[in-house]
Amino acid sequence: MTRSTRTSALVMLTPAVSLVGVFIFLPMLLTIWLSFQAWSTQTGFGAAQFVGLQNYADLLSPLSVGRDFRQASWNTAVYTLLSVVVILPLSVLLGLMVHQNRVAGGHVLRTILFSTYMVPMIAVALVWSKLYSPNEGPLNQILGWFGVGRQMWLSSPDTALVSVVILNVWQQVGYFTVLVIAGLTQIPVALYEAARIDGANPVQSFFGVTLPLLRRTLLFSAVIAVINAVQVFEPVALITQGGPANSTNVLTYYIRRVGIERAQGGLGSAMAVMLMLALIVVIVALFAFARQGEHEK
Amino acid sequence: MKTGRAISFASTLVGAVFLSGTALAAPVAISYLTHWSPETVAKLEAAAKDFSAANPDVTITVRAVPFGDLLTTIRSQGSSADGPTISSIYDLWLPELVRDKLVEPAPDANAKEVSSAWPEGVASAASVKGKPYGYPNEIDVYALNYNKKLFAEAGIAAPPATWAEFAADAEKITKKDGNRVTRQGFGMINSWAAGVIHPFSSLLVSNGGTLIANGKPTLDTKAAAETFKLYEDFIKKGYTDPTMGTADANTTGPFLDNFVSGNTGMIIMANWWESALKGGMGDKFANIGTAPIPVGPSGDKARSISYSWLTVVNASATAEQRQAAWKFLSWLNGPTSGKGGASAMSDILLSMGILPSRSSDVAAHGKDLNREFLTGYVKTLADAKAFPVVLGGQEFSEALQQVLEGIQYGRLTAEAAQKNAQADATSILERAAK
Repeated sequence: MTRSTRTSALVMLTPAVSLVGVFIFLPMLLTIWLSFQAWSTQTGFGAAQFVGLQNYADLLSPLSVGRDFRQASWNTAVYTLLSVVVILPLSVLLGLMVHQNRVAGGHVLRTILFSTYMVPMIAVALVWSKLYSPNEGPLNQILGWFGVGRQMWLSSPDTALVSVVILNVWQQVGYFTVLVIAGLTQIPVALYEAARIDGANPVQSFFGVTLPLLRRTLLFSAVIAVINAVQVFEPVALITQGGPANSTNVLTYYIRRVGIERAQGGLGSAMAVMLMLALIVVIVALFAFARQGEHEK
Repeated sequence: MKTGRAISFASTLVGAVFLSGTALAAPVAISYLTHWSPETVAKLEAAAKDFSAANPDVTITVRAVPFGDLLTTIRSQGSSADGPTISSIYDLWLPELVRDKLVEPAPDANAKEVSSAWPEGVASAASVKGKPYGYPNEIDVYALNYNKKLFAEAGIAAPPATWAEFAADAEKITKKDGNRVTRQGFGMINSWAAGVIHPFSSLLVSNGGTLIANGKPTLDTKAAAETFKLYEDFIKKGYTDPTMGTADANTTGPFLDNFVSGNTGMIIMANWWESALKGGMGDKFANIGTAPIPVGPSGDKARSISYSWLTVVNASATAEQRQAAWKFLSWLNGPTSGKGGASAMSDILLSMGILPSRSSDVAAHGKDLNREFLTGYVKTLADAKAFPVVLGGQEFSEALQQVLEGIQYGRLTAEAAQKNAQADATSILERAAK
């Protein structure tokens, strides 16, 4: 690379690198720095006092802040796992159904599926909190027709988190279905014809052609689904407030409670750093898993 | 020459007076943040309109957020001149808002008014280190609310006066269909910190205990152990079904629904719920009785806890905004803004069943305070202990909420809950005091 080429590359890269540095790396570094300080979010950074690893020690302590943090971490992990495990297969199933050209009204179905994603969360929260009502809620009435007993939904710590997952799946599945449909359209029809000539039945075609060629779409969907799930906040803030008995307290909601309501910026930053590290590990693991699959091929 | 100078001086003087007059009369826009319902906000807006009619340079906008978002809104917007100029706050939040310099101390004239026109205890709850930071308005106290119709059906003549009677009445009222509780004797709220800990604290003080004494938590006492045990017993015996006690972001939800629809016999709740009960019950509101908190085995008389709300002014607002805000608050809480010597604020509060705290308001509303529902609260107020207002108070409340919910859902024994609560409180208060 000549000197002039290097200079022009530097000039062209500088604006983008500066923006990334200012708006992404600087806040990240600031959060990491704050996680080692005792700092009220209502005061300037100059008022922060270095406390070493105390904030992290508090998060691992048996006291309320540590117990609540670990509960919120567990709830977030369960919520994320359940959401991804349900959303991805369901979106593939719905994508395959809607993608069939022979199905009449496929476009209408696609629009209906996607429409749930466009409904504002506040409206979803209002409607679903009533649907879930143990006494007058229509969900229990419908289940009653099939002899299923009364469910407590959001009112019991045993079912509240799963109830929020169901709500999330209902709202997000349309978006992921559209992603799957986009992936399906990229698969050449000739491959299916070849498989059919080779004697493959529809199930074999699905596992031999569709699923391998959807790998990249599904990886992208999984990453987005994980990020969306880890960042869950609105349904918790609007419907459950983290209850009952902390059963729906998730990390983003707890960070908001500690960092903003209680103004404990250092402790909130330590939680944010832990969340960020966990997210990095999960995303890297997902990519490694996908890459391993490609190598095995 | 002299005449010219005189004209020049006179014109300068007139100009200066004109300009300063213009500066004083410059339009000022202030905002008022509250968590009240739309109906109550409309009453506050009407009062603000009356103030603006007499003070045409001041425009006041009222903004409401759910209770669950109130503190967050103050914290996230309160350090800017564009944030709410006036905020309605729960007294527990005051020490930390003062520490973080989000609220302005009352100017001398307003501070003197607060010190002289309010009872000493109420004025001190609106003060930090003896300095008033706002106008106290509502005072809330907890009492036992019971459904007289359910009591009559169960053959109970009078509300319980002791914990033994409390448990016996709860047992008689409770109905089950197999293992499922269809009607609970006593309702415990969950998913809302103040809603969870205030009834517990009321039972604790009525059992001779306290939450905090001399800045140290006192949840390791015998009185506290008996109160934790009472909760555990009610859950184990099925007098309370926690799934019937969930609150939502507006602090209502299934807990309120179950009481107003006759699925709950008794609750411990504050007077401000009167409007919610009336709204939910209509004519059946007449079935609701109010009684003092039952006395525990270690208590000497019925006691309760109280807390207050106040309105504070944003320390980051402009000087003009702060001046207009204090003027408005003085008028809103003063004896000329309402009817018959009462303040406009007290008229608004009483429309919700909330007790006003200014001495002249209590005198002016003597007749209103005698209505059946409120009488029980007014009587209880004399023996009420103020909920401790300390640094770290909100975190302390949320930690206690979690252990109490742990008992409610059978995840903690009374002994474990008590141990956790004391350890949490000690750590939280020590850290907050640093």
